Amino acid sequence: MTEIYPSLAQCAVVAAALKILLFPAYKSTDFEVHRNWLAITNSLPLWEWYYEKTSEWTLDYPPFFAYFEWVMSQVAKLVDPAMLKVYNVEYDSWQTIYFQRFTVIVTELLLVYALQMFVDSSHGASKRAAQAAAISILLSPGLLIIDHIHFQYNGCMYGVLIASLVLARKKSTLLWSGLLFAALLCMKHIYLYLAPAYFVFLLRAYCLSPKSIFRIQFLNCLKLGAGIAAIFGAAFGPFALKGQIPQIFSRLFPFSRGLCHAYWAPNVWAMYSFMDRALIVVAPRLGLSVKEDALQSVTRGLVGDTSFAVLPDVTPRICFALTLVFQAIPLLKLFSQPTWDNFIGAVTLCGYASFLFGWHVHEKAVLLVIIPFSLIALKDRRYLGAFRPLAVAGHVSLFPLLFTPAEFPIKTVYTVFWLILFLMAFDRLAPASSRARFFLFDRFSTLYITVSIPLIVYCSLVHGIVFGKSYEFLPLMFTSSYSAIGVVGSWVGFMVVYFTS
Amino acid sequence: MAKPSPSPHKPRRKAKQAAHATSSLRNVNSAESMTRAPAFPLAAFLWPARGTVSQWELLPLILMAVGLFRWAAGLWGYSGFEKPPMFGDYEAQRHWMEITTQLPVSQWYFHDLQWWGLDYPPLTAYHSWLCGKIGSLIDPAWFALFSSRGSHDPTLKIFMRATVIVSEYLVYIPAVVIFVRRYSRLNGVATWSAAVALVAILMQPATILIDHVHFQYNTVMLGLVVASMSSMLAGRNLWAAVFFVAALGFKQMALYYAFSVFAYLLGSCVFPRINVPRFIAIATVTAASFAILLLPLVLGTLSDVKHGIDSRPDIDGPRPPLALFPQLADYLDTEAFYYPVVEQLVQMVPRVFPFARGLFEDKVANFWCALNVVVKIKHYPTALLQRGALVATLASIVPPNLVLFFRPRKDILPLAFATTAWGFFLFSYQVHEKSVLLPLAPMTLLLAGSHGLGKSTRAWVGFANILGCWTMFPLLQRVDLAVPYAVLTLLWAYLLGLPPTSLSAYFNEGGNNWTEWATLFIHGAFYLAMLFWHVLVQTLKPPPDKPDLWVVANVGVGAAGFCLCYLWCLGRLVVQSEILPRSWFQKKEKSKTQ
Repeated sequence: MTEIYPSLAQCAVVAAALKILLFPAYKSTDFEVHRNWLAITNSLPLWEWYYEKTSEWTLDYPPFFAYFEWVMSQVAKLVDPAMLKVYNVEYDSWQTIYFQRFTVIVTELLLVYALQMFVDSSHGASKRAAQAAAISILLSPGLLIIDHIHFQYNGCMYGVLIASLVLARKKSTLLWSGLLFAALLCMKHIYLYLAPAYFVFLLRAYCLSPKSIFRIQFLNCLKLGAGIAAIFGAAFGPFALKGQIPQIFSRLFPFSRGLCHAYWAPNVWAMYSFMDRALIVVAPRLGLSVKEDALQSVTRGLVGDTSFAVLPDVTPRICFALTLVFQAIPLLKLFSQPTWDNFIGAVTLCGYASFLFGWHVHEKAVLLVIIPFSLIALKDRRYLGAFRPLAVAGHVSLFPLLFTPAEFPIKTVYTVFWLILFLMAFDRLAPASSRARFFLFDRFSTLYITVSIPLIVYCSLVHGIVFGKSYEFLPLMFTSSYSAIGVVGSWVGFMVVYFTS
Repeated sequence: MAKPSPSPHKPRRKAKQAAHATSSLRNVNSAESMTRAPAFPLAAFLWPARGTVSQWELLPLILMAVGLFRWAAGLWGYSGFEKPPMFGDYEAQRHWMEITTQLPVSQWYFHDLQWWGLDYPPLTAYHSWLCGKIGSLIDPAWFALFSSRGSHDPTLKIFMRATVIVSEYLVYIPAVVIFVRRYSRLNGVATWSAAVALVAILMQPATILIDHVHFQYNTVMLGLVVASMSSMLAGRNLWAAVFFVAALGFKQMALYYAFSVFAYLLGSCVFPRINVPRFIAIATVTAASFAILLLPLVLGTLSDVKHGIDSRPDIDGPRPPLALFPQLADYLDTEAFYYPVVEQLVQMVPRVFPFARGLFEDKVANFWCALNVVVKIKHYPTALLQRGALVATLASIVPPNLVLFFRPRKDILPLAFATTAWGFFLFSYQVHEKSVLLPLAPMTLLLAGSHGLGKSTRAWVGFANILGCWTMFPLLQRVDLAVPYAVLTLLWAYLLGLPPTSLSAYFNEGGNNWTEWATLFIHGAFYLAMLFWHVLVQTLKPPPDKPDLWVVANVGVGAAGFCLCYLWCLGRLVVQSEILPRSWFQKKEKSKTQ
């Protein structure tokens, strides 16, 4: 088989060049968060990691991530020991910036490796498509914006996730897939959102006999159970010995936060909030009562707890219930037909459900949907049809993460570049579906993508010129409502594709 | 960059793509399109775009990608950042926006010459005026008279970077895109290969480093020169003259090419037969272009005189003598209405051509500076040095321009331009290390020519570019720009499969003739020297009695390498122009690879 060009390694080299050039770019408080964690893990004994609170950015990732920071801090020591002092709050010497930015690029190599695994695991005609999808993930504007400008380590962790998803493709490596995912959970607990799909898939494909669901494969259960226990033991064991588990959990799951994050993630609650704001204007005419205390939060923008003026308030319990319901529906199909394609579909839909209905969802979590979806987006044109609005909405919704003028050209031009390149490439690569397209979904997505252009122009230029600094919440609200329509639309579309294929 | 590949399903637009497939089949000339695998990484990135992808889909992607690298590079510091008291080129450009928007026209070339006085020709002044007017709409404090000096407002930096990129996208990039299209067609190069060459040319590290990182507007001047060459390719000699006058009017450095433009235009009036009307037309258009170029300055001066605005309000008493030819005042009536105009134009000349400064400034990798290491020529009288420089420059530029004059052919234009510019860079007076951009620009355009992406041309163009960047390292290092230098240079070397990332440009699968080995040996020695020099600079401090030792070493190696580039360009020019009889040709063939 001939090589497919460009190779992943070539793309990684060129992307790395751009990422190094972005070293002096804007960095969010997450940069300080990770510097603080380097300092905590390096200078304090294990028992104090989850109690230390000199900085407001306390350690709130699971222990494997803390170990990961500890390993990096061993190198950081050689670069600039001053960054490892807990009291050195907001320390950002150029050595610190170079070092931390560089670790993001280096640890992302894991993603390159995992994507190469993915390409190698596909055969025949789909290999070219797999290569395109892999490169689209590697060059994802989401990762560029979040990891290399805003600052986080998602590239590395999505690498682990993709490796785990690819390992699930072969029967012989199923166990490793499960264990790798368990390790990932101990690195960043946001992946719990995807855990139901793993649970159902491993249960059906690994723990139960392929012939009958009533025949349990006890040896497999034992291997999986022992492996997972060992991984969780390695992660949480040392802390459990000192009885620190409740403290860790209070750090990992801060339920005191509000329904919507500072900036609304594009999910159903964004639409709900938008409707509420719209109803405030209409309510007096309809005879609905408006809660006075909620009115103040309207113009205050999107920060802080959201309280609704007209519509009923939403509790975490409702969010949780809705998430579970919408996760359970695709899992039923996965349980009955545990193929790899269905598994990736179910993982994607679990991501969708938790992103759309979850409590205090961060807009960055949209990668949880986009990245697994990318792996199967090129299966046929119907999948691609559902993927398209998600690709646009998901990435546009990340724009407000970067609000500085110097990064504006980078985020917009890079995203537009990526969208044109890959939507064009995918269009050529995705094979026609054996089933008919369903109604006007393609037309909807074309229209939807077109609307994004005036929206970006308005939010980034027109609004500032017309209103100046006032009504700052308007562009944010438009962006998130627009993106929410795209994400919800693509979710509905993908549900249909998933259940009809 | 572009990923799409020949698709397994039916594409929607059939007719158009079929046309493209045939157009690339027609060109048997391009070795690249025949091969099975891409020869270097840049070709791999464009590999999926062969045949099926229309250039109108490819071009926007290319422009976006190269734009991203430019803007990202611009996030780094600029020349003179936080380096008081004088700051650097960035402050000079900003200051010109300040004086052109705040002062009457007649004072532009006179205002406080000690603080970055305007020393570029009028088109730069008009460009500064436009940028300054736009910037003042955003924040008037950026260009307020006096109070804005040395400003390092971060938003101002973004604005300034944006002016560079916008100017480049309005001038240089369209010019290069059109040039590459015409030149590749002239040489029968496939569209796909031309696209590869376009990316290579636009990613050229030296221009990005100087314009978008260190800060200047060279690409505007270079773009006008490329537009001039492109007009010559299209046979529009009058437009070529107009564009070239504009280039000269933007930056006097364009004089490096003036002889070639002159030789080509004159040659095209003489050969194959003498064409007097064409000559007159070109001469008239050139003169008219110069007149239009100076017109705003002249009108502005006259209007200032009418309103009683003095060009030098800081000087009381009688008018000071003219800056050049003070005896001219004896023949002119100093009270006449035209006198201020004369004064204005005469003032511009020494501002633009600072002969009063030394033979070279700082350390530059040209012949004189390298010679200065051996013989302390700086101690010789200025007049002698000026004359020596003049003779040497003429000796180096006459041969290529004679070739161009006797053989005014379109396909040798970039080679002739490059040779002449190398001659100027190596031997002329008052050269700056940034001037290496001038020979590099036409030389890099060779990539779009016949066998441009073949190994030999790629190796030499790559060698010149990487050496050029390397000689600018001391300049960049002064403002902590080592990282963008390393990233952009290595990225370009990687994309084109050049050392230090790959040696593939030096080995052919078939013949292993000795010229390849010679090229590899010579280039290899230079690449090793560059690498070794970087290690040296990083690890060792120069001896206290010779603080400039590293820079001097850089200059010596650079000048030697540039001399080779000059000889290579000249050799290829002679061979390609077929000016020598066939029997000589074989001999030349051997020596040209040196």
